[in-house]
Amino acid sequence: MTLADHKAPLGRLTAAWSALRFGMWGLVALFIIVPCVFFLSLSVSPRLFDQGPEWFTLEYLKTIFTGTTAVSIVNSLWVSTSAATLGLLIGLPVAWLAGRTSLPGRRFVSFGMWLVLLIPSWLPGIGWERLVVKDGVLTRFGMGSGLVTHAIMGPFGVVLVLGLRAVPFAYLTITASLAGLGQEFEDAARVHGASRAAALRVVLPILGPAIWSALAIGFAESISDFGVAYTLAYNTHFSLATYQLYAAIANFPPSFPAAAAIGLVLVTSVALPLAFQARALRGRSYAVLSGRTRQAVRRQLSTAEAVFASGVVALFFVLSLGAPAVGTVTGSLLADFGASTRITLENYSGVLHVPGMAGPIYRSLAYGAVTASVTVVAGFVVARLLSRRRTRSTALLDFLLLATVALPGVVFAAGYIFAYNLPILSRLGIDLYQTVWLLLIGYIASSLPTNARLLVGPVSQVQSSLHEAARAHGAGPARAWLSGVLPAVSRPVVMAWLFTFCGIFLELPMSQLLYAPGSPPLSVAINLNIAGYHFGLGLAQAVIGVAIALCVVSFVLLAYRLFAPRGWRRIGSTLRG
Amino acid sequence: MSQRISKSGPRTALLGRVVGAGLMCAAVLVGATVGPTSALAAKKPKKQVPLIVYSAQGYDQAMVHAFQAATGIPTKLDTNSTGPLLAQIQASKNNPHWGLLWVDGQTAFAELDDEHLLVRHFEPKVRWNALGKEVVPKDESFVPTGVTLMAAVAYTSKVVKDPPASWSTLLSTRWRGDVGMNTPTQSGPTYPFIAGIMNELGSVTKGKQYFERLKANGLVIHTTNGPTLAALASGQIKLALVQSSAAIGAEHTDPTLKVKYLSPVTMLPSNIGIDAKATRTEIAEAKRFARFVLSKLGQAVMKTGTPTGDSLYYPVVRGIKPRPELPGLSSVKVQHTNPYVWGPREGSINSWFVDTITK
Repeated sequence: MTLADHKAPLGRLTAAWSALRFGMWGLVALFIIVPCVFFLSLSVSPRLFDQGPEWFTLEYLKTIFTGTTAVSIVNSLWVSTSAATLGLLIGLPVAWLAGRTSLPGRRFVSFGMWLVLLIPSWLPGIGWERLVVKDGVLTRFGMGSGLVTHAIMGPFGVVLVLGLRAVPFAYLTITASLAGLGQEFEDAARVHGASRAAALRVVLPILGPAIWSALAIGFAESISDFGVAYTLAYNTHFSLATYQLYAAIANFPPSFPAAAAIGLVLVTSVALPLAFQARALRGRSYAVLSGRTRQAVRRQLSTAEAVFASGVVALFFVLSLGAPAVGTVTGSLLADFGASTRITLENYSGVLHVPGMAGPIYRSLAYGAVTASVTVVAGFVVARLLSRRRTRSTALLDFLLLATVALPGVVFAAGYIFAYNLPILSRLGIDLYQTVWLLLIGYIASSLPTNARLLVGPVSQVQSSLHEAARAHGAGPARAWLSGVLPAVSRPVVMAWLFTFCGIFLELPMSQLLYAPGSPPLSVAINLNIAGYHFGLGLAQAVIGVAIALCVVSFVLLAYRLFAPRGWRRIGSTLRG
Repeated sequence: MSQRISKSGPRTALLGRVVGAGLMCAAVLVGATVGPTSALAAKKPKKQVPLIVYSAQGYDQAMVHAFQAATGIPTKLDTNSTGPLLAQIQASKNNPHWGLLWVDGQTAFAELDDEHLLVRHFEPKVRWNALGKEVVPKDESFVPTGVTLMAAVAYTSKVVKDPPASWSTLLSTRWRGDVGMNTPTQSGPTYPFIAGIMNELGSVTKGKQYFERLKANGLVIHTTNGPTLAALASGQIKLALVQSSAAIGAEHTDPTLKVKYLSPVTMLPSNIGIDAKATRTEIAEAKRFARFVLSKLGQAVMKTGTPTGDSLYYPVVRGIKPRPELPGLSSVKVQHTNPYVWGPREGSINSWFVDTITK
């Protein structure tokens, strides 16, 4: 084989990668940047989309510096920062305990995290409220305390609930990176006389991308959260920016320009964590996963350590799952809006006996599966772009993606209407609005940023030598990727798929505005009941929805365990013991 | 949506399904037997296009099925809360995709009418009753289909033995921290209630003062009817100011829950408006839909579609009786607020409410 023979496929590969990169940029521009820019441009030019008489005005931007809007924006900023930090402070040790120690019940930690992730954020909001309000569950059982009520029904409670919701993001991001981190770094430190704490100081910076990624996702997810803003925060008169944005749209007539002005602040706000991230990671490489990566040894905890660690992890799950469970019990198992303690399955019976109930469930299952499958592929490509050498183009992409995470779904959905329902498109025969296609595109575009950020940590750990080694052994480009790279990232890819699936399965704001008439997804059906006359029925539907999603998660994880080649699981989990 | 059903147990649910199936058969028979000469099937369009129905009514799914069965017109339903539906209409007004809008409250319709987004001068030829005559708009730009009331006072007889007798009573220390209501930005029926109080007191300023005093007396704000009634049931509040249909529907689930109307109570008509930019065919189909809703068969579907929800309405057509659970209106003053006066004020009053009362 001559040198030219080697160069030809290499050239084709480079050309293919360039085409893929440009194609990805094109899709990001078309389905993420354009809708968001169209929507946000309304903040200064309402006339663009016939939402006001002015071609240019600063009136709406001024409103974000005054009154309730300004207060809500300040609240959102500090609450999101606190929640992301709390999420990391809990998620990092839990990930380490479950991934690197003999923590009892560690196999259930990952499952529990998925459960936390599955639950729509409004459920913990309602659950905590039902626990602590006047004449709430705690009071009825003689455990009511004014102090607890005051603490939960206010900023502390909001930070707590959002912080607990940020934990799975930190856990999954760090677990994925821990899985690729071999024993050699800790061994090297210990060989040179470092204590366990000192060895930790060596290992922690290697997790830098994952830690910063967790913080950035935690911040962006918290600042864009609407479920807690709509329930606990709203009912405690603690206004958050997403609620103000929603109120501007839900008011009649809707003020899209006012909502766009708030959206602009949310987008800009993600520059903060990104700036910190860029500053912290500048000029360093975090590619640690290679063919030579050594399996790590699970640390054996002493009895006292095991009891303490288990207690901390259990407390986390009680706080994050117990409260939503109470909300569900009082709401869905009590027929009379929770006025008595008589438990009945009436609401569940109602749900199961309604004709046509299956349609929205099947639909949401299909939407979730399609979205997750497409998003994981696109997310991997984007993560690879982001994990390569930092250029202006990748920095811009990183900012755009995270900015999108910070935008509430309702902004995305409205942006899609403005961008893809233009009269000129209809004249050209392109009628995407109110079709399943636009909804799916919206789902994929809104899921891609978080998905890519979940994958960027593991992908940045993959050394190019893995692919090169496979090529050296005669594999073609595709086969080299499948045999050299995919095994190393298969576990995070499966996790990213599940995360996207769960997010879409019960997604509401985008579904509400974009679903094709006659084909409502499950979340729309649930919302109609909860907001209307059938609160308990809606909660029962939500519980059934969460249970179905959990079954899917269990099925996929089981299938991975049973069918993935053993080597894939071993490479993805650099651990023995 | 068919997902919204009676919570009063399997027996009622079964009964509802049997009645629904019967009505469906009746609809098919009507469609098959009365033919194109009937009022319902008059002027059959040459080519049918899907009629897109934007609706926030609990019985909309049942109605769409019955309408399709009776006329053969393909109908697609976008069922949603009122807020998202209106947001969609506003965002897509340059290139609308809806055929008709069917939601509670008239202020939004008045504003859509002011923007020339609704077909005018169309009302089905029916004999309106006294309620109906009062709520039909002068330019006939939307069609009332029924009336609920805002706000009914819901309370639990176990806790409240002596319910309030007037709106001003709610300001007394007797009810401090005990009154709950919805926020107008999330609950469509709540703005008409606020407007009704302002209308009764004579000015927006006096109305604002009333709600500020109510707030000072510990008013609790929840999002929509469901959460406010849940707060009543859990004991967080003792009086829930909610839509009459929601309050009466909740009586099914809790026999101790009672409903009282305070004078004046404000009418909240449900209405159908037709998109002025729709094709001629779709407009014709939408008009048939409106006629169908006000027909005897359509009214029967409305009355049985959600027996513990939106079906608890006061009819606007002569000869149609309300469901037996509904209390009479003879002892209470019922007022109608002019949507063309109160509609344009909705945005500013809601913003004031969020900034001042909800805060």
